[in-house]
Amino acid sequence: MGVAAKAMKQKRLDLLAISMLVVLLLAALHMMSGAVQRSEALDQWFLPLLIFTVAGLVVLVLLVGWSVWQLLRDYRRQVAGSRLNVRLVVTFVMLSMAPVSVVYLYSLQFLSKGIDSWFDVQVDNAMEDALSLSQVALDLHKRELLTLSESLLTSVEDSSQTALAFSVGDMRATSGAIEISLFDLQGKTIGLSHQNPDVLTPSPPSGGMIRQAVGGKNFVALVPVKNNQLVVRCMVLDPLKRGLLLQAIYPVSDTLSALTTNVQDAYEIYKERAYMRGSIKFSFALTLSLVLLLGLFGAAWGAFYTSRRLVQPIKDLSEGTQAVAEGDYFKRLPMPKNRDELGFLVDSFNEMTRRIEQSRNVADASRRELQNQHNYLGTVLGALSTGVIALDEHGLIETANPAAEQILHLGISEEQGKRLDALAERDEELRPFVDRIAGGISEGHAEVTLYREAGRQVLLCRYSPLQLDNQGTTGHVLVFDDVTELVRAQRDAAWGEVARRLAHEIKNPLTPIQLSAERLRRKYLKQMSEDEGDVLNRATNTIVQQVEAMKTMVNEFSDYARPCKMQPRPLEIDVFLADVMALYEGGLSRVHFFPNAPGCMIEGDAIRLRQVMHNLIKNGQEALSEGEEGMVQVSSGLYEYAGRQFVQITVQDNGCGFDADSLDQVFEPYVTNKHKGTGLGLAIVKRIVGEHGGNIRAENVSDGGARIVMRLPLRPLIENKQEEITAVKESQGNKA
Amino acid sequence: MAQLLKAAAYLLLLCVITVQAADLVFSKVTLTLSEDDRVFVDAQLKYQLNETATEALENGVPLTFEMRIQMRDADAWVWEKDIVEYRLRSVLRYRPLSALYEVRDLSGGAKQVFATRISALRYMGRISDLAIVNRDKLDLNKEYLVRLEAYLDVEALPLPMRPKAYLSSDWDIEAEPWEWRLKP
Repeated sequence: MGVAAKAMKQKRLDLLAISMLVVLLLAALHMMSGAVQRSEALDQWFLPLLIFTVAGLVVLVLLVGWSVWQLLRDYRRQVAGSRLNVRLVVTFVMLSMAPVSVVYLYSLQFLSKGIDSWFDVQVDNAMEDALSLSQVALDLHKRELLTLSESLLTSVEDSSQTALAFSVGDMRATSGAIEISLFDLQGKTIGLSHQNPDVLTPSPPSGGMIRQAVGGKNFVALVPVKNNQLVVRCMVLDPLKRGLLLQAIYPVSDTLSALTTNVQDAYEIYKERAYMRGSIKFSFALTLSLVLLLGLFGAAWGAFYTSRRLVQPIKDLSEGTQAVAEGDYFKRLPMPKNRDELGFLVDSFNEMTRRIEQSRNVADASRRELQNQHNYLGTVLGALSTGVIALDEHGLIETANPAAEQILHLGISEEQGKRLDALAERDEELRPFVDRIAGGISEGHAEVTLYREAGRQVLLCRYSPLQLDNQGTTGHVLVFDDVTELVRAQRDAAWGEVARRLAHEIKNPLTPIQLSAERLRRKYLKQMSEDEGDVLNRATNTIVQQVEAMKTMVNEFSDYARPCKMQPRPLEIDVFLADVMALYEGGLSRVHFFPNAPGCMIEGDAIRLRQVMHNLIKNGQEALSEGEEGMVQVSSGLYEYAGRQFVQITVQDNGCGFDADSLDQVFEPYVTNKHKGTGLGLAIVKRIVGEHGGNIRAENVSDGGARIVMRLPLRPLIENKQEEITAVKESQGNKA
Repeated sequence: MAQLLKAAAYLLLLCVITVQAADLVFSKVTLTLSEDDRVFVDAQLKYQLNETATEALENGVPLTFEMRIQMRDADAWVWEKDIVEYRLRSVLRYRPLSALYEVRDLSGGAKQVFATRISALRYMGRISDLAIVNRDKLDLNKEYLVRLEAYLDVEALPLPMRPKAYLSSDWDIEAEPWEWRLKP
């Protein structure tokens, strides 16, 4: 069973319970009304009925109070439908209260006046007069009987109590009394005569009667006996002072007795009702008030129930609308039982949310498709080795792929939403690149050369317009490749080809030339005079020496053109350098070594690296001026760049330095400052360093001299070496 | 003197209590064990009707008084039945024709008339030699509680007067309950 069905069932049970309570209360009030109207059967049930009615009314008041509290709470919280609910409840209550109150007030007034009309002054007086008349008649009768009783005693002249006792029978017979009895002054019985011979004891006189009679005031009273019969009871003191008391009980005639009894009963009833006039009014008013309260609170609860039922679909609609506004398109409202206008509205709402949900599902599918395409494009861009930067119509960076960041060595994603100038502001080395893009690339592509700290970098850029949407908004896409290695490889290949051809074309005729020159000297030297022989000897020697020089040059070309055959092995750089530097100990030029990379290993070919070091040291020595100040310093150290670690080897001299104009081309073949040399030394050095994955650069020292800085990648370290390197770095920091 | 001592020996207990001013007051209560092992109650209840009750009486409203005598085990729970329970109900009524006060015993049906209200009330308040229980019906090892109550029965008032009587203290006419622990 669903929640809504359970709630509906609970509501029905509540309604049934409340209805039963109201019916029971009405029944109780009806019975109370009957009891008030002197129904003997319900007389004993008055108090339980009153308690039940009041308790039921209290329950009803609590229910209404609870409903009021809920309504006010909803109103304060501005719950949907609460205002309409309040208006409906107030309207219903006012509509029911007005007529009921009018009826109540008029009923109360009518009731009061109706009860008052029962009691009239004339009726009062008549009742009083009837009672007085009865009393007068009875008093007259009583006085006659009292006189008769006194005469009975005086009629007996005998003073003997025994004689008097015997005469009571005559007295009773004479007087017609029911009973005649004689007592002494202490109340002791002397004689008795009763019309019933079976009665042997006199009716006992009360002490008051005896005291009153002994006191000189004879007693006479009208006394009711069984069956509402009246008798006259007299007690008289003997006027002859014989110490006797006579009690006489006389019957009252049936007619007189009945009449006086009727008068007395009517008077008592009237008097009692007149006395209870206020109480009767109060009782009826109480019953009427309970009816009023029951009606009012029943109507109030009915108003709450009805308004809730009326407002519920509107409340559902309001909540549903709010849910839709918050994006809940799955909201469905329960259909009201009555297929009225509200039902039609709820049905339309459900249809609307159903359609919105369908549209949303379609939109979600499109969004997912778009997201997939975006992911696909991102994956493709991420996999590209070509850098891609997208700019919007304002020239602001929108996206950049990882390759762009790698090529430019810059986190471009941090500059998203900024102009391209921001890249140059962060890295001034990128300024030529930015300026070239800003200047426009009319021919579609351009080659930009950047002079980075690590060396020259050549970028091949393409700059194309990019349509961003259907409104013609156009941005740009910048695509660039790092072609530094490609350019270098092309140049190296070209120079290698030149060298190979030179070696091949020149080296072949050199040996015949040299042999021919030696043969000429050997064959003709002996036949010539000393002077002529001397000339021949010098000429042939010159030819041989130049041929040797050309052979050396050709061999160097051959070495440069020869393909690389690396035999790498782990080298501890400081140990390796110390080994190389040992060859220069005791030389004419001072060569000093400053090891600062203890324990640092590289993967390298020791023979070729030794060639590199010899070339660099030799170049430094050749650049030194003669004198004691000349000095070549070789040092090692650690260097970190872009998260990678390198071993940095510096060879510095205090000679004449490089020619400033050709500083950028010192590593190009056939570029040299020296009078002798092929210009291939530094080219070979750069090639070997490149083969080891390193880089090299040349610079002039401000105090004079040249400096070659070479960086070779550090061999991946095992963990226990890492701590040593850290220690080394700290020691370097301390030295600095 | 010997008879007095013997009577004193039979006398199980005697209690005379006087309670502060109230509408009804037990001025004297006596429990007596007779020679035939019966427990008798003698009591005198003093009625002092307030103005409201007197006015109602003089206007012909009958007033019903009830005197309740109960005996129960002193350790009994509330729901346990009483060993003895007597309800003596009397109706006092004024007869305007004869100007007499009539006392009717609802228990026995006897009717007495009195010239004054005081004498009628005195008669109503007197209980003489009311045998309530035989000693052999009691457990000699137990203690019993004897309780006397007297009050005006509001439920016996004419119905229109009852709602006010429920709410008004003027009609809350009752005696301070009299209790006595009895060990046979």
